[in-house]
Amino acid sequence: MNRPLSRRHFLRTSTALIALPALESLGFRRFAAAAAPVSRPKRMIFLGFGWGVTHESWYPALDQKGADYTLPVALEPLARHKADFSIVQGLWNKYNGNGHYGSTFWLTGANEFGEPGQSFHNTISVDQVAADHLGKDARFESLILDCGAAANGSGHGQGLSLSWDSRGKPMAGPKNPLEAFHRLFAKDTTPLAQQKAMLAQRRSILDNALENARELQRSLGKTDNDKLDEYFQGIRDIEARLSQDEKWLGVPQPEPPMEEPAPGLAGYEEIKLMYDIMVAALQTDSTRVLTYRQPVSTLLTSLGVRIDSHTMSHYHGKGPEYLEASIKRDQAQCELLAGLLDKLKATREPDGSTLFDHTTVAYGSNIRTGHSLDNAPTLLAGRGAGIQPRAQPRRPQRHPALQRLAYPAPRLGSPSRAPRRQHRRHPRPSGLGGGERDKR
Amino acid sequence: MKFPPSRFWLALLMVPGFAAAAPKEAGLEERHRALLKENCQNCHGPEKQKGKFRVDNLPPIIRSVEDAERWQKVLNAMNSAEMPPEEEKQPDPSKKADFLEDLAQVMVTARRTLGDQKGVIALRRLNRREYRNTLRALLGVEIDVSELPSDTGGPAFDTVGAALFLTGNQVEQYDALAREALEQAFNLQSTANLQKKLRCEAEAIQPVFLKKSREAWETWKRATKWIQAVDQAAAKPENAQIVAGLRETAKTDDKLRYSWHKIPGAPSPVDFGFEQQAAVNPAIIYVIRDSTDFMSYDDYYVGLLGRDTGSYLTIFHSNLGSGGTGVTSEIRLSIPKDFPPGDYVFRVRVGATADAPAERRFFEFGLHGFFGGSSVLSTHHVSASMDEPEVVEIPYTVTRKNQELGHRHLYIREKGAGNTQGFVAQKIQEARNRLAPGPEVALWIDWVELERKNPAELPPGMRALGIPIDPKTPEVGREELRAALDRFIEEAYRGVKAPEGMIDRLLGIYESRKALGASHRESLNETLASVLSSPRFLYRAEPAENGKHRALDGLELATRLSYFLWAKPPDPELRALGVSGKLFDPGVLEAQTNRLLDHPDAVYFIRPFLTQWLTLDRLDLFQFSQSLYPKFDAAVKAAARQEVYETFGTLLRQNGPLNALLKADYVVVNALLAQYYGIKGVNGDAFRKVAVPAESPRGGLLGMAAIMAMGSNGERTNPVERGAWVLRKMLNEPPPPAPANVPEITRLAGKLLTTRDRIKAHQEEPQCASCHRKIDPIGFGLENFDATGQWRTKETYQAVDAAGKPDPKARKTWTIETASVFHKGPAFKDYFEMREIIAQKREGFARGFSSALVEYALGRPCGFSDEALLENIVRLAREKDFGTRTFIHALIRSKEFQTK
Repeated sequence: MNRPLSRRHFLRTSTALIALPALESLGFRRFAAAAAPVSRPKRMIFLGFGWGVTHESWYPALDQKGADYTLPVALEPLARHKADFSIVQGLWNKYNGNGHYGSTFWLTGANEFGEPGQSFHNTISVDQVAADHLGKDARFESLILDCGAAANGSGHGQGLSLSWDSRGKPMAGPKNPLEAFHRLFAKDTTPLAQQKAMLAQRRSILDNALENARELQRSLGKTDNDKLDEYFQGIRDIEARLSQDEKWLGVPQPEPPMEEPAPGLAGYEEIKLMYDIMVAALQTDSTRVLTYRQPVSTLLTSLGVRIDSHTMSHYHGKGPEYLEASIKRDQAQCELLAGLLDKLKATREPDGSTLFDHTTVAYGSNIRTGHSLDNAPTLLAGRGAGIQPRAQPRRPQRHPALQRLAYPAPRLGSPSRAPRRQHRRHPRPSGLGGGERDKR
Repeated sequence: MKFPPSRFWLALLMVPGFAAAAPKEAGLEERHRALLKENCQNCHGPEKQKGKFRVDNLPPIIRSVEDAERWQKVLNAMNSAEMPPEEEKQPDPSKKADFLEDLAQVMVTARRTLGDQKGVIALRRLNRREYRNTLRALLGVEIDVSELPSDTGGPAFDTVGAALFLTGNQVEQYDALAREALEQAFNLQSTANLQKKLRCEAEAIQPVFLKKSREAWETWKRATKWIQAVDQAAAKPENAQIVAGLRETAKTDDKLRYSWHKIPGAPSPVDFGFEQQAAVNPAIIYVIRDSTDFMSYDDYYVGLLGRDTGSYLTIFHSNLGSGGTGVTSEIRLSIPKDFPPGDYVFRVRVGATADAPAERRFFEFGLHGFFGGSSVLSTHHVSASMDEPEVVEIPYTVTRKNQELGHRHLYIREKGAGNTQGFVAQKIQEARNRLAPGPEVALWIDWVELERKNPAELPPGMRALGIPIDPKTPEVGREELRAALDRFIEEAYRGVKAPEGMIDRLLGIYESRKALGASHRESLNETLASVLSSPRFLYRAEPAENGKHRALDGLELATRLSYFLWAKPPDPELRALGVSGKLFDPGVLEAQTNRLLDHPDAVYFIRPFLTQWLTLDRLDLFQFSQSLYPKFDAAVKAAARQEVYETFGTLLRQNGPLNALLKADYVVVNALLAQYYGIKGVNGDAFRKVAVPAESPRGGLLGMAAIMAMGSNGERTNPVERGAWVLRKMLNEPPPPAPANVPEITRLAGKLLTTRDRIKAHQEEPQCASCHRKIDPIGFGLENFDATGQWRTKETYQAVDAAGKPDPKARKTWTIETASVFHKGPAFKDYFEMREIIAQKREGFARGFSSALVEYALGRPCGFSDEALLENIVRLAREKDFGTRTFIHALIRSKEFQTK
């Protein structure tokens, strides 16, 4: 084993032990401000919660301008963070007309029917645009988390996570805390030389797969090739991951700042652990962009609510127990979020600032309540994007606000700084959270 | 590319193909223009264009996505009550409802027209279940694929190519699963002749029972002795003063003993064999003292005859104390570590006691899970008596998971014995009420056994490979390996040869892996795994030139047929007929179709097709309240779902009329479900046709517990869900998807109302009425079925809080009123009349079914361009009295089925 390669710098901070790989010695450019007064990297977290909220008790009153507003009941668990988050009101994902799709178009703003001859269509999600900007130097360009089978009953709609790739295809990632933990912190104890050889072997297997696909490609027509393209993309994704692995070869996986999660947790505890893992991922700078499609159905079960989650979301005009269940859901979700914000604030960066100072958390759904998609619940927190915390006044409907999150804009409402370059790189740039341009 | 030597389908060109169908136009009837003109045009017309939106020049026919978006805006704005603005003149409510109803329908038509794939089938990936079946067909092993995306849950069938995505993650999963499958296949080959059988005599647990029983007695005695000893010490005159002091706060003897350590001479519970905990908290001892039920229950059990040759199953609950009968509630069999994965049969020799009531003649077979949960795998009926026990055979597949600790314990217990809050508590209470020591035993077990079913022959993939895989094999010659790979690939690729260069690349992978120090077996595994994660395996490729339709070749037709009806690759017979082209002979094709449908593997068509067509997965969306519906337990729910499959399967086997699903004078049930429906004289686990009287609500989909149960939320019925389901599935008049942003009706929140009164509020707002006036009446007509499909005439609403606690003041009971009127249709006075009306809609039902069949079989949405195909299928079926099998023959004979 080559000693310098496995050497690590330890920086003791007030709350945590941060390990930074000595990348410079490997010939990589400095990516993290270990000592120099360079600003810390920006991070983004997107949390989607499917079946909306209890409309009556979640939104702050609009006549109270500024930060000094009354916190509604559902948000009470967030009281200690009141100065640090905003509820943005009046957002509506222009094209979404599906009352059961809380997450499918949440980060894409695409038109489901936008492609003639297809019954479903989507575009790249904002987190992937962000990952392209922010994620390059981390071990994982982005970390996509999901809740597996529980997603079906949670109002998320189609998809495998909140994330969609540049061609509008669903992306997948770890589906429970244990899987996520292993993805981040699994130790490879194989000797380096053998790891290298194994990587080479993996490469030749991938080359073979590509060759097989090319052979098939030659005999197929266009529609089929569009489909086969997913296979090519899949292989390229694995290759990109291998290259990333190669770059990090010999840099030991960071020490997990938490215990390995127990398997089989569901609902409240599961979300809580996922949040812990997200903080651990940021703390170890394993990734800078995270999405998490949270479970709602199992959350209700874990809270002792016996009403199924879809019925709960239609609490209107039903017995009081439905409304009660819905509020209970909101409060539990806000409690969990408050816990996440606590952790982000408590986790110190090497320069003495906190993770919270460099992170933007977007928390929401396309569904407001029932089948209503107007005023999509949207909560923004963190100082990463410099958003002024307050209950934002109602903006004109159909405003593409989430788009700005992908870029470190000084504050919401300033002109979009989406660089043109981006538009060239992604064939359908208009899918950035704000809906596609009208094709008129 | 090989083409069929003779093209029989050319003869079918007489039948209109997809080109002939006139495209359906998506446009609003002219009469609705008046509403737009009157209520919208002032602000959105030639003069004013508020929001830059005009209604006067809306395109009359929707021909593009842009046209659709403009009309969608109108629909959205009116549905959400955003337009016309509150202060403006509002349209007449009934006109508005008509307008919205028609516009919503136009939008559905427009989306279908614009989304029409025009007969193009996108390259189909094997979906999750096809992938599992295909691996099993190739390698003879069962793999756990639950980590792969399920491919269901979207609006399309899981066979629709366009909706079957693939990600890098998934490619890696395929690779891992292929390695696992190959590893198991290698193991299977090396253990193919290993015979394994284990029998456990049930009486073997009797000594354990007796020991437990003695211990329980012993513990009870120690508890009472300690109490006696403390009481004696407290009664001593010299302790009187201390005791009097303690009595000031401890009013009872039980409380006094908490302070035993302050009473001189009182012994510690530890001296009597209890833990230190009991010394601090004697309540532990009091619980033991007070739980005496076990004594009489154990005595009762000891007195039973037949314990020397078998064991009775008890239903056990800690309420009965911790006596010996906890042990006898289960008979277990632990799968020995050296039992290789593969197919087994689990046997139980069982009989019922002479006075076992009908509802207690069932046992559950299951596996104890690692995390406490035990999953019930199946439920079985016992029709034999103790004197002449029967042997019940249950197929079981041992996987590698079973070799892990915590996944090895198979068990049987009485059905419901795991439902401690419901069934068990109820039986114990019933026993108490008649002063019995506990629930009488109902089932007697002689023995259980597990025996391996050795594979008759090697699976096709391994046979094709045909080289030793023994770990001891040092060398396989390069040419031998090349030939083996060639054969394996052809088998894995369902008859298609390896493309040029592929084998050389594979040999490279094999050799470089070996150079890394891996064994022959490991290297071979990796090499073959890369075949199983290649696109030719994962996709069902039907190569074709750009945008051109062409006839399938024989092998492709065989593959389509097999994946349609078996969800797996064609077997040798079908493949050979495909390769030779004989499959194009209509007689041969029909015979093969019949052969596939008659085969047990047709369940791989029946189950997924019905589950998705009828949206049966709704049954798993919620828990059925066991306190409200103790009879609808997991076993009954599973049997109810099975009824749907078995009924359709029976129609398919006998070519019975499809409309028997609308109404029939029989049901297809087994013993368990017959009992749930109150039908007598049905024994055993097999489903069979049983006649029902004309006045029975059963017979047909509407009378099935599964169908009614999924139109509920596990506690209460959901008439809207049921009504919409009947419109979609039975009447083929699907309502448009639930629109977004319709204001919710909240004024009834928290009020005590009948279900019907609550739902009637839908008629108040035109936005709601436009759909609900069609949906709700049907839902009302089904209200005699409760949330679990049982017949009822009265209903009670008991309001509860979120924790499930009932509020005694908030309770209402009413007689169910089912009379109603179909929207713009006939009236009916009850469920039976409504069912009669629905039963007449055979044409619509046949069309809806055909359309689902087309989508499922062809792997693409059924578009308007398929009108002629549907017409043709329904016509051919009608000529044969809508024989269920006729639909399938008609589809398979069609040009569409035989064309790429």
